[in-house]
Amino acid sequence: MKRVVFLAIGLVITLVFVALSYSQNSNIFEMLYFNQGFNDQLYNLNVYPMVAMIVAGMAWAGAGVYYYVINSVNFDRWFHWAGVLGVITLAAPVVCYAVINGILKNNGLDYTGEAVQFIMQLFVMTAVLFVVASFSMRWWSTNCRHTPFPQ
Amino acid sequence: MRLFIFAIGGTGSRVLKSMLMLSAAGVRPLDENGKPVPNLELVPIIIDPHKGNEDLKRTEALLTSYRMIRSKLYGNRTDVDGFFANRIVTLREIMRDSSIQLNDTFIFNLSAVERNKFREFIGYDTMNEANQALSSLLFSNEQLENKMNIGFVGSPNIGSVALNEIKDSNEFKAFANVFNAGDRIFFISSIFGGTGAAGFPIMVKNIRQAANLDINNRDVLRKAPIGGLTVLPYFNLELGDDHRIDKADFIVKTQSALYYYKETLTGANDSNLNTIFYLGDQVVSVPYLYDPGEHGQRNRAHMVELVGAMAPLKFAGLANSQLSDENGYPLPSSAYEYALDRDSLNVDFKAFGAETRHLIYDKLVKLHLLFIHLNTGFKDTIGQGYTNDKPQIKSDFLASQFYRTLSGEFMGAYKDWITEMYNNMRSVELFNIGEWDMNKAIHDVNTAKSFFGRKSVDNNVFKSVMNTLSQNSTYAPDEIEYKFLDLFNRAAQKIIDERYENIN
Repeated sequence: MKRVVFLAIGLVITLVFVALSYSQNSNIFEMLYFNQGFNDQLYNLNVYPMVAMIVAGMAWAGAGVYYYVINSVNFDRWFHWAGVLGVITLAAPVVCYAVINGILKNNGLDYTGEAVQFIMQLFVMTAVLFVVASFSMRWWSTNCRHTPFPQ
Repeated sequence: MRLFIFAIGGTGSRVLKSMLMLSAAGVRPLDENGKPVPNLELVPIIIDPHKGNEDLKRTEALLTSYRMIRSKLYGNRTDVDGFFANRIVTLREIMRDSSIQLNDTFIFNLSAVERNKFREFIGYDTMNEANQALSSLLFSNEQLENKMNIGFVGSPNIGSVALNEIKDSNEFKAFANVFNAGDRIFFISSIFGGTGAAGFPIMVKNIRQAANLDINNRDVLRKAPIGGLTVLPYFNLELGDDHRIDKADFIVKTQSALYYYKETLTGANDSNLNTIFYLGDQVVSVPYLYDPGEHGQRNRAHMVELVGAMAPLKFAGLANSQLSDENGYPLPSSAYEYALDRDSLNVDFKAFGAETRHLIYDKLVKLHLLFIHLNTGFKDTIGQGYTNDKPQIKSDFLASQFYRTLSGEFMGAYKDWITEMYNNMRSVELFNIGEWDMNKAIHDVNTAKSFFGRKSVDNNVFKSVMNTLSQNSTYAPDEIEYKFLDLFNRAAQKIIDERYENIN
C-alpha cells in the first residue's frame, strides 16, 4: 500500500509540474527566471509544456532505466544512483536548450543568452523530478529498491 | 517419531559428525515415497569412556553448535526444509521425569567405568583364588591394569563387562522413560575395536531384555525397531611402541565379532536387531596415529563415515512394515550393504550411486556454496539489497552468537571435515578444496552452457537471486537468522537447477 501511495504522490507532483507549465499567471518556468521578451515568446510558442514534458519524461525515464533496466547488484550503491541522477540532470536541460533554440530560430528569433540562463533552473527541476520519480518507482525493483537508501 | 542414535566408541563419534554435516546441509530421511519423514527428532547419545578422545570432543562441540544454530532458526519445529533441517535434541531436553538427574549433554555418563582400572572395576583383588584364576584366564595382565578412561583399547572382552553398567545408569533410565511406541533405535559402532564392538550387542541385549529391568516402557522397548551400522575395518594405524591396538588384529576381531553377532543379533530367525548395515572398505585409510592419551584419536574424516552417516537416515525412513509384524513385534534382521557406482580412489559425486546423489548432492552443494559465501561475500552484502528488507540484517548481525557459531565454529569444522576426507584414502573429492570460485567449486561439475560460453555463479548472482526472493517473502521481526539462511537455501537451489550442469 505504501508503495502505491508513493507512486501516486510522485505522479501527482509530476502532473502538477506539467500543469503549471500551462499556467499564464503562475507559470512554473517564470518563477525562477523571467525575461519579458524571451518568456513571452516561449509562452506564445507553447514551448513551456514541451520543456515540462522533456524534463519530466527524461527524469522518469532515467529513473526507470536505473531501477528496471540497469537493476543490477553491481550498480546498487547510492553513488551509482547519484551518477544516473547527474547524467539526467545534465542531459535534460541540454536537450531543452537545443529544442528551445531550434524553435526560436525557426521563428527568426535569437535569444541564445537568455536560453542559457533559462535552462539553469531546469537543472534543479530535473534533479527534483528524478528524485520524485525514483521514490515513486523504486519499490518494485529487484536489486535497486533500497537505493539510494533503504526503504 | 524419535530416532535414538547410540554412537559408540570413536567410530560412532566420527560417523555422527558426518551425519551432523549432512543434517546441516539439509539432508532429511526420506520415507518409501521419497517424502521427508514427518515429525522426526534425532536423539544422539555418545557412549565412549575415552573422554579425552579428540574425535568425541569434536563431535560434541559440533552437536552443541548445531543445536544452538538450529534452535535460533526453527525453535522447536520439526518439519522444516533447508539448512539444519533435522531437529537434534538431548535426552534431557525431552525428558518428562524430572526425578532423574541428567546433564544436558549428548554424552552418556560413564563415570563409574571411567575412573577405575579394569581390575578394580571387577573387584579382582577381593575375589577368591579360583575366581582370580578364571579372570586371569579371560583377561591379560595389560587388560586388568587398563585404566578405562581411555576406552577399552581394542578389547571387547573388557568392554562387554564394563558396559553392562549401562543398564543401571540414569541415562538408560531416562531413555527408557521417554521412549514411545513408534520411536526407533539405531546403533553406530565399529566391529574391529573395543568399545563399539562390545557396546553394541550389550545395548541391544539390555533393550530386548527390558522386561527384566526396573524401568518404564518395558514392553515398548522390547518391541522397539532397532537398527545398527556395523563398521568393518576401514582405517590403518601407524606402527608405534604401544601395541595394545594392532591393525593386524582387525580382521580376526571382525570375524569373531561377526560370528558372535550372528549367534546373538542377526541370525536368520533372530529379531533382536531388525536392520543391520554392514559397511567397510578394503582400501584402507592413510595410517592414523595411535594415541589413546588425552589428546589422542584425532582421526581424519573418511568416506566410510560419510556413507555410514546415511544409514540411520535410511533406517528412519524404512516403512513400519519392514521392521515389525502386524502385532508390533520386531521382524528378523535384514542386512544392507553399500557400493559405489564407480570403484575409484578419488570419489566425487559421480562415483556415488544415483540414490545417494539424489539424497545428498543438492544439499551438500548448497552447504558448500554457503561456506564460500560466508567466507567471501556475505559481509560486503550487508547494508544492500535483501539485507535491507525487513527484518533488516545489519552489521551487528556479524557479532551475534548465531553468526559467529555458524561462520566460525561450524563452518570451521565443515572445512576440516571436507579437507580431511579429501586427504584420506579413498580421497573424497566432492569439492575442489581451497577453491573459492563458485564456478569451479564442485569437482568435475561445470556450470551450465549458455549462448556465450558458460553461465556464471558468484556472490553477485546469489545477491541478485536473494534480492528477488526476498521481495516476495515475509519474515517475522525475530527471524533474521532464518531469513538469511532460508533465502540462501532457496537461492542456492535455483542456482544449482539453472546454472550448474545436472548430474542427478
